[in-house]
Amino acid sequence: MTPARAAGAPSRSSLRGLDGLTFFVANLQTGFGPFVSVYLTSERWTQTDIGLVLTLGGLVSLFGQIPAGSAVDAVSSKRLVAATSIVAIGFSAVGLAVGSLFPVILFAWLLHSAASCTLTPAITAMSLGLVGHGRIAARLGRNASFASVGSAIAAAGMGACGTYISNQAVFFVTAALMVPAVYALTRIRPAEIDPVLARGGSESEAGGAAGQEARARHGGGVGGGAPWWRLLGERRLLVLALCVVLFHLANAAMLPLVGSLLTLRSSGSAALLIAACLIVPQVMVATLSPSVGRWAQSWGRRPLLLLGFAALPVRGLCFGLFHDPMLLVAAQVFDGISAAALGVVVPLAIADISRRSGRFALAQGIVGTGLGLGAAVSTTIGGYLADRFGSATAFMGLSILGFIAFVTVFALMPETRETPR
Amino acid sequence: MRYLTGLAGVATIIAVASAVSPAARAQTTDQPAAAPATAPVAPSPAVAVPTETPPQAPAAQSSVPAAQAPAPAAVAPVPPVVAPQVAAPVAPPPNGTPATVMDIGEVDGVLGRNVRSTAGDDMGRIVDVMVGGNGQVHAAIIDFGGFLGVGSRKVAVDWRALQFASEGKVGRITTGLSRNQIRLAPEYKNGEAVVVLNAPGAAPPAAAPAAAAAPAPAASPAPAAPAASPPGAAAPAPTADDASAQRPKPAP
Repeated sequence: MTPARAAGAPSRSSLRGLDGLTFFVANLQTGFGPFVSVYLTSERWTQTDIGLVLTLGGLVSLFGQIPAGSAVDAVSSKRLVAATSIVAIGFSAVGLAVGSLFPVILFAWLLHSAASCTLTPAITAMSLGLVGHGRIAARLGRNASFASVGSAIAAAGMGACGTYISNQAVFFVTAALMVPAVYALTRIRPAEIDPVLARGGSESEAGGAAGQEARARHGGGVGGGAPWWRLLGERRLLVLALCVVLFHLANAAMLPLVGSLLTLRSSGSAALLIAACLIVPQVMVATLSPSVGRWAQSWGRRPLLLLGFAALPVRGLCFGLFHDPMLLVAAQVFDGISAAALGVVVPLAIADISRRSGRFALAQGIVGTGLGLGAAVSTTIGGYLADRFGSATAFMGLSILGFIAFVTVFALMPETRETPR
Repeated sequence: MRYLTGLAGVATIIAVASAVSPAARAQTTDQPAAAPATAPVAPSPAVAVPTETPPQAPAAQSSVPAAQAPAPAAVAPVPPVVAPQVAAPVAPPPNGTPATVMDIGEVDGVLGRNVRSTAGDDMGRIVDVMVGGNGQVHAAIIDFGGFLGVGSRKVAVDWRALQFASEGKVGRITTGLSRNQIRLAPEYKNGEAVVVLNAPGAAPPAAAPAAAAAPAPAASPAPAAPAASPPGAAAPAPTADDASAQRPKPAP
């Protein structure tokens, strides 16, 4: 590409490729959710072994995000990272499908967890490298929308596959999905991903002669940007990470609890109601995310964050107070609001905060680790409260945590949008 | 980048091929291993020894092809769960521990198997088996409900409530309990007293210390009673919901 290309003017092919990539990657990742424990049970695994594999996978996803983020920042070709991760995930799906020994399945699961740690930041970094900071908000909205449609379609397809063919077939389908994902990746032209931008540098640095020098200096992209410990001192990032921890502390336990409650309370169609609980937020994310991206750019990030964080305690209260299964499903609308708002604004805020630091993927890894920590502790807290005091109290407790998260955002989180110069 | 697409395609082909080929699945410890009959001559002490065969298996591998063929004829089909007969002190046969061969249709594992109601509804999968100190099997833990793994509950069901046979051989696992009965039962929690759903129409077992009415947190079944009103199962008052699991449920 010519050196005088303006930063952030990607071709149609690249943008379509990015759309397809987020869609197919979401498809790919859907097979690895809670369904895995259903599959392993049907393969005659004991609950202890299943728990062990899932816990080890959870640990890898938790502690692998920060090293993975550093690695993604260091490698200049984000496409290579993404391709390797996708192929690794495909292989792990095959391993889960055909493996019958415990070490094989464990290795496949850990491989998947590790590859997911690198894949998500790579895709977000590619998006930033393609469109630049000015248009990243709308782009992230579009990505979230495609991802949500992808996972909804995949969930339906894989549910049908698991019911009518076999549980094992689901993983073969998942493995096959890596082919369209890699194909979509090849449609993204490598020259259009600005490596400095993708790491979080600023536009003035990337576009002109200074960008040329930066590219020449960084060469393979190793070690560019601010030292990593400076990122830890960035107060806004720590506040954002704290808010994300608190949010997921309240959020993660709610869906399994309400699923269990629906199984208990609805006399015939619990599975349908739970499916509806999963679909409602997905539909909302798919429809609202592009708008959220535009609003984040015009109104700012903070109002949307506040909206997303406020929806969580409201949802918890609804779950605790309502008994009718239909009302419980309706309360998932608030889950949709939170998911749409946070799904776009949190990566956006990370991009804002890590701007010019050159550590975009690492910052994503830090916040992602917070997400994982909050979610892990949340299921323990939720389970304990539900066992000891009943589900109504459990939801009240989670709502209180959600309210604390909201207050934290209100008090501490600044606006991260930079006014255009 | 195109080579990566090709690599992905090759990987898929390899995967399909390996799945289709007779992959020797590793024996899981809970699968009753068909042990080679090593004592066609000795009066067979009718004890199936699945746990002792793995050490013996490498030594006896060579005799498996020979033993399997005449197995149905050589070994008298013995009911699998039988009190060990007072074995006469017979000198152990030269090749090791006496064992029993069981045909494929005679026995099957239970973990992960689907359970259906008599009407054909899916009732979940057996995920664990509760055994008393005397070796008697009391209950099966069934993982019931949920969608794609979200929202399932574990319920303990009396072993006698399950039927394992179809057409004389071990086949589908069915139960006479209805969905509503299982749905409303208190959840099984590891480390707490187990509340076991009795077989429909059965008298409560005389000695069932493990199934004592636990002060299980009744808050979750309790709100269910006013909300959902299935024909009979919710009739017991909310406070007695967990205790009612002890009494035989009224026939649906």
